[in-house]
Parts: sequence; structure tokens; C-alpha cells
Amino acid sequence: MAKKPKQDLMKGGSVPQSEGPTTSVTTPEGVRLSFRTASFGTRLGALLIDLIIMALIPVALILIFVLLPLEDLRITQPDHPFWQIMGVIFVLTLFFARTGYFMFFEMGPRAATPGKRVMKIRVISHDGGHLTPAAVITRNALREVELFLPLTLSVQAAAGGGWLGLIAFLWALGLALLPLFNKAKARLGDFLGGTRVVHVPREALSFDLVDQAAVSSWLVFTPEQVAAYGEKELGVLEEVLRERRASTMQAVAARIKARIDWTGPKAEADMPSDESFLRAYYAALRAHLEGRMLMGRRRKDKFDPTV
Amino acid sequence: MSDTPPLQLKSQKFRETREKEWRALARQVDRAEKGQVGSFTTEELLELPVLYRATVSSLSMAQSISLDRNLITYLQALCGRAYVYMYGAHARPWQVVKGFFLRSLPQSFRTLGIEMWLSFACFFLGALGGWLMCAFDPSWYNALLGQSAQGRDTSATTEDLRKTLGGDGDTPLAVFSAFLMSNNTRVTLLAFAVGVIGGVPTAFLMIYNGMMLGAMMWLFTTKGLGIDFAAWLSIHGTTEIMAIIIGGGAGFHLARRLMFPGHLTRKAALASAGRTAGTVMLGAMLMLIIAGLIEGIGRQTITDTVLRYAFGGTMLVGWLVYYLGLGRDRKGADDGQKA
Repeated sequence: MAKKPKQDLMKGGSVPQSEGPTTSVTTPEGVRLSFRTASFGTRLGALLIDLIIMALIPVALILIFVLLPLEDLRITQPDHPFWQIMGVIFVLTLFFARTGYFMFFEMGPRAATPGKRVMKIRVISHDGGHLTPAAVITRNALREVELFLPLTLSVQAAAGGGWLGLIAFLWALGLALLPLFNKAKARLGDFLGGTRVVHVPREALSFDLVDQAAVSSWLVFTPEQVAAYGEKELGVLEEVLRERRASTMQAVAARIKARIDWTGPKAEADMPSDESFLRAYYAALRAHLEGRMLMGRRRKDKFDPTV
Repeated sequence: MSDTPPLQLKSQKFRETREKEWRALARQVDRAEKGQVGSFTTEELLELPVLYRATVSSLSMAQSISLDRNLITYLQALCGRAYVYMYGAHARPWQVVKGFFLRSLPQSFRTLGIEMWLSFACFFLGALGGWLMCAFDPSWYNALLGQSAQGRDTSATTEDLRKTLGGDGDTPLAVFSAFLMSNNTRVTLLAFAVGVIGGVPTAFLMIYNGMMLGAMMWLFTTKGLGIDFAAWLSIHGTTEIMAIIIGGGAGFHLARRLMFPGHLTRKAALASAGRTAGTVMLGAMLMLIIAGLIEGIGRQTITDTVLRYAFGGTMLVGWLVYYLGLGRDRKGADDGQKA
């Protein structure tokens, strides 16, 4: 075949395995969308990034403060009303940075804080509808209880607080680790707000492998040969073909040839390459399985009975 | 070696006809995610939902006719991104703030009517109990207040106590920042949070804090400073104590919906309760900030007893009018809040 194979747009790991728990929502259009649930580690990473950004806000404030030409005002006594007002503004800014940061970003068009965007996770409404401002407010108000309170309490407990502080701390720690103990990986704020945090990755659309199938009289398979495998094997074959690693293709081709009893042409020159063999078999297998699928008779894998 | 016509699968034809729409949607979502929605033309904006629906329908179709995993993964990811964008909160900050303060907050407060009364009763009975306990046995005072007495203990003289009510003392800022980390914010949050474990700890917290207040009232009254103390406290106390009571009410609401979810599942009941209680809690947090500001500034500047009462009373009436009066523009609140 003279046709030059197009370069695959997706190098390596082209067909991502859908591992880990998924969160399904039914959109208002009535379509079920499955998202991969964000793991605790991913969320912790996003949170750490956000906390670093939040910690930089006071640093920026102090920098601005230092850069302002305040010496000219000749306010030296520390209890002057000017300093007190500055102090109050400072504390208030910090307070809103703490409580408003998450709400501001999650209510925006991207439904995610900068940290979440880096980790490619988003907040969605669990019922599939609109993410409402009330839900965002609730899930982030609870953050106060889940995150900032344990931090405060642990500082107090370390400074010799009473048993009440310790109990409250343990309770809050349990809340903070809640995502580890439920299937939806949701924290308390997610349950109360009716929200979930999910992966929203970007995927590139590659070319259709069937378009590249080599056409040759040697690469026409009998119905029995095509019926050897099911959908799971088709997926694996797709992955192998998109990765295009020579050694893997050789091994896979050898196994398929042995299983379907395929005998190649006598002449060595006519022998198709492993890749064109696999492409042709992929095309034939997919045509067969999709044909069955249209008739409502899907075949999960090779162990599924044919009829 | 004869060329046969290339395979034409249904899924191939399907992709051929629809791919243009997917690519167009992907371009638009890319732009939207970069925050360039403002640069969309009117046609593009009108096109977006059409493309979205077409792609979503492509996905459900692809899942039943195609076995190309790359295609399905792509469509799933694209629909996911478009969905997150289309059904995001998209709130204009100003409208959210306006809607929150003029509607949701007072409406949620009224939804929690019974819980608020319960919370108030716990606090009030606690205060009464604290007073009576100290009146019968003064050693209760130190047991109740512990380290938080700050020199206002039973051994203090009338003069010492009067000084704590006076205009001079800590600098306003020190008081203010100390407040932010202080007892009241913690109590309010805790009273709300522990509502999730059944409401008994919430009741305990409300009663305990009421007792502390009652004990303090008792101490100042025995020294003949009861009226002055109440005046001093009322400046910020009306706002602050109301915030604590609201926190307790929100906690009781969580507990009630958790124990008696009604016709909903427990998870759904908790989610709806969380929205209402969370809204109310945000209001309580803001009240605590306001109380902190009043405490920092007002306590030192307003020193006359009558003025103090007037100020505290005005604040209380203001809050009550706000919470009970606002957001009643429609008959039968149909704002999605479930009682």
C-alpha cells in the first residue's frame, strides 16, 4: 500500500483506562455523563496550591504597604487612628481572602479555583442541574468548619488547651478525612451543598483507525476468524495500534495469528507487516462487533458466548 | 491484490457527518475556558447551546453504535467540559450579593423559625441557670468561667470591675483581632457543625454559653453594677448573642433534617438542610464581624449607659426587622428552599 500512515495525534497511553470511581450525573438533556471522581490526593494538591496563593495575598499587601510613600505622612506614633484603620483594613482583607476566595472562583465561569484548574478538576452539581450560588456558598462555608477550625484548634491544643479543644480537634479531623471514607470521595461541604468534585480532562480526537486499514486479499478474514474476540480485546487492540510500539505489535500479532489460525501468503514479499495485519484485523473485528451491537447483541469479551 | 472499496462502517459515517460540530464546540469551549466569552459574537453565543445539544446527542448515539474508544473518550471529555461550562454558577458577583442579602438570607432565617426558638430557649435557660447556680453557690462562678474571666472573678473589687466597663483599656485593634480568633466565632461555628451529630452537643454549647453569660451577670449584679454591665454588653452583645443563637439554630436544623428527613433520602435532606443552614450561617458570620467592629470601636467611644442601651437596642431591632421583614416580595416563597 502506497498510502503513508498519518501520524497519530496521541502518543502513548492513547486510550485512557477509566480507572477509579466515577460520578455519573444526568444532565437536563437526559444524557448520562460519567466523570472520573477526583481523588483525595488530587483535591489535597489543589487545596495546597490555593492555600499558597491565599498566603501570598498578605505578602502582596505588605509589599504594597512598604512601597507606598508613607514616610511623607509623618505618622510615627503606633496608636494613631491611621494605623488602626490600616490594621482593620488588613484584617478584613485577610478575612475575605480566606472565606471569599473559594466562593469567588467557584461561582465564576470556570467553576474552579486556580488550584483546581491546575489539577484539572471542577465542581459540579450532583443532581446534574445548574451549580447554584447557594451550593457554592454552603460547600465553602463548611470548609471553615472542616479546615480552618481544626487548624485553629490544633494550635490551641498544642498551646495547652483543655480536653474540650482536643475532642473538638479529633472530631474536626474526622470531618477533614471524610473524603477517604466514602465512595463519592466527597467532603462534608459537598454532601451539604449537593456538589461533587470531578476530573474534567481535555482529550484530543485522533483519527479513526478503520480509515487506515490496509486492503489486501490476504487480509480478508473468515467469519469464524473475526468471531474470536470481543469488545474488551478490541479496546486493547486499539490501544496497541495507537501506541505503535513495534515489539508490542509483533507479540500481539503473533498471538492473534495463532488464535485465529491465520496462514499468510507463501511468498515472503507478500507478507503484510505486523501493523497492517493488526489494522486490518481491527477493522474487521470492529465491523463485526458494531454490526452485532446495532442488533442489540453486544459481546463483552472473548469469554462471552457468541450466540 | 485487488483493491476492494474501503470499509464503510455506520460509526465512520456517523463521525464523518458530525465531526464538524464537535470541533466547533471544542473551539468555543476552549475560548470560554480561557475567559474570552466577552469576545463571542451574538451568533456564536446563540450557536453554543445548539452545538452543545448536538454534541451531547452525538455522545449518547456514539455510545450505542461506535466501539472506537478514542472517539467516545473524546466526546465524553468534550461534553463534560461543555456541561461544566454551560451549567456553572455564572453568577455576577453583584447580583449574587444582592440576591443573598435581600432574599436568601432573611428567607432562610424564617425557614428555621422553630430551631431559632429552640436555640434561643437553650441559651436563655442556660443564662438563667448560670445565674441561679452562682447565686446558690458562688464557687460555680470560677468553675463556669475558668480562664476566660480575665480578672473579672469573685475576688475582684467593684472598682476593678468598673474599670473593665470603662472607656480606657485595650487598644481597639488589639481587641478586634483578638476577637476574630476568640470564643464567639468558635462557638457559633461549632454549634452549627456539631448539629451533624444529632443536636445534643449544640444544645450543650448553647446552654453552656448561656450559663457563662448568666454567671457574669450575677457577678456584676452582686457588686451593684448589673445595669452598667448589661449596657456595656448590649452594644455589641445584641448582635453577637443573636449570631450565636443563629449558629445554634442552624445546628439544630441540620440535626432535625438528619433525624427526620421526611420524604427525602437522608443524603438529599442533608443537602437541602445544608443549603439553608449554610446561608444562615454566612449571615451569622457577618454578624460576628460586625459585632467585632462594634466591640473594637463602639465600646470605647460610647460610654454613657443610656446611649449604650439605645445603641444595642437599635441594633437588635434592626436585625429583627431585617431578618423578619425582608424578602417577602412574593406570596409563598418559591425560591427553592424546602422547609
